[in-house]
Amino acid sequence: MDAEISWSIPADSSELAGVRARLRAILGSAGFDEKAVGEVLLAVDERLSNIIRHAYAGREGRIDLKVFFQPHQARVSIRDYGERFNPLKAPLPELPPKNPGGLGNFLTRALMDEVCYDETCTDGNLLHLIKYLKNKKPAG
Amino acid sequence: MKISERKNGEVVVFELAGELDFHTSPELREKMQVVSQKPGHRIIVNLKKVSYIDSSGLATFVEALQKAKRAGGKLVLTELAVSVKSVFEIAKLDKVFVLAASETEALSVTAA
Repeated sequence: MDAEISWSIPADSSELAGVRARLRAILGSAGFDEKAVGEVLLAVDERLSNIIRHAYAGREGRIDLKVFFQPHQARVSIRDYGERFNPLKAPLPELPPKNPGGLGNFLTRALMDEVCYDETCTDGNLLHLIKYLKNKKPAG
Repeated sequence: MKISERKNGEVVVFELAGELDFHTSPELREKMQVVSQKPGHRIIVNLKKVSYIDSSGLATFVEALQKAKRAGGKLVLTELAVSVKSVFEIAKLDKVFVLAASETEALSVTAA
């Protein structure tokens, strides 16, 4: 059965722990194992941090989160209204990194099964993060 | 995030508790900078009570390690939870840091 949970937060780093706690509860009750939950939490956390740091760059702003469940996957959609930037076009860092920083975008991409940037969103950014239940891609 | 600092002989030991993220890592960065820049300092960071780390936390340790090495010191991380260690592994930073299983092991590494 499909289900959707949506909420909004201010673009403030003090919100990150609360988002992680809420996502942990939502994904755990949907049947995701501890490892998958941890991966989604970190991927989402990195995206939110990136938005706060770069898209809003210290300015006040709003971030909308939407968790959409289908039988075999969860999709977390993250919408902001800051400066546009497609993280999928950014180069991936050398590993291990020689200098601090630059790992956030890599972690978001590495930890999810699919990451999609919505180019039709013109007043900010909309990124979809998808995780398959038990890491299995649905048939068809 | 709780950060406590103590001495074990000549070694400075940081004990952390809580979640290390973009919000909490600046305080740790500030405290570690002071110590890691001092010539020849040996530092152990005990992560036993850290349940979460993100790239900001990783960056804090990478920076502290660089400063410690430049100052002729050492930095060893110890007692990482499986979930925290896995983030180091994803970024291949387990090849860069000494990740000791215990504080006793960390002490022997810093003494070497």
